[in-house]
Amino acid sequence: MRIATGEPWVDAPLQRFVDDARARLALLLHPSGQVLAQCGFTRAVDVMSACALAAAIHAAAAELGRQLDGKPFRELHHAGLERQLHLAQADTAYGSYILLTVFDSESSIGLVRVFFDTFAHALAAATPVMQRTSVPVFGSDFERDLSASLDAVFRVGARGRPPSDPSADESS
Amino acid sequence: MSADYADVLECLARNRGVRGSLIVSQTDGLVIDANLRIGQRGDHLAAFAATVYRRTRAAAGAADLGTACFLQLDAQNGYICAAGSGDLVIVVVTDPGVNVGLLRAELLRAAKSLR
Repeated sequence: MRIATGEPWVDAPLQRFVDDARARLALLLHPSGQVLAQCGFTRAVDVMSACALAAAIHAAAAELGRQLDGKPFRELHHAGLERQLHLAQADTAYGSYILLTVFDSESSIGLVRVFFDTFAHALAAATPVMQRTSVPVFGSDFERDLSASLDAVFRVGARGRPPSDPSADESS
Repeated sequence: MSADYADVLECLARNRGVRGSLIVSQTDGLVIDANLRIGQRGDHLAAFAATVYRRTRAAAGAADLGTACFLQLDAQNGYICAAGSGDLVIVVVTDPGVNVGLLRAELLRAAKSLR
């Protein structure tokens, strides 16, 4: 499966994670819900919904952790009948990101966790040196930025994926 | 460690050449119980060993050999042996000079006792 990303530095760590962990879907996002990279989705609307839900679930779990344990929960796992979901936070010098992974019986939660650790280290190492800005995430231009990042992800995805790629059907 | 699992792991650890042993969930690849030395990565070992064991069983099934009951992986510096019982897999890491025959018998007995 090919990664579609608007941020080239994310590509290598995420591609390796998807290959190693045998993930069916992967979505790297900012805690605000803005997408950085995706793998396995075919429609922008699916990415947008998944990002919003993942960010909300992560925020809710983090707050629950703060109330119960004094510090936010960083990792979440849901097991469905056929597919499972893993949601975890990766910290970089530029800030935190959330990785949503969907996998099936080809993989296991143990493998996903092991390779997520590797991914988090690789992502932190690959983070470019950037000046942190103090612009609020939910500024007036949030919607424009969200659309721009979705456009970037799917434009790169359309260029990077061959038309007959069978993995393109994952989200249906 | 829960008493039953601890006993099983303790028994395996008494064999000469055994470096560590774990009881792992085959489907999840997570450690259920472990008897490891300091520095051994139990979570990594559990995830990979469970995957290998699961795929070995699938391969045995695909080859019409029935259910695989014992797995022995020869590496340069030792062995990884595994035996399953339902969703549980007992994984043992050993030195190269271990008596594999004896260990196999012990592992199969231990796996049977988990049922």
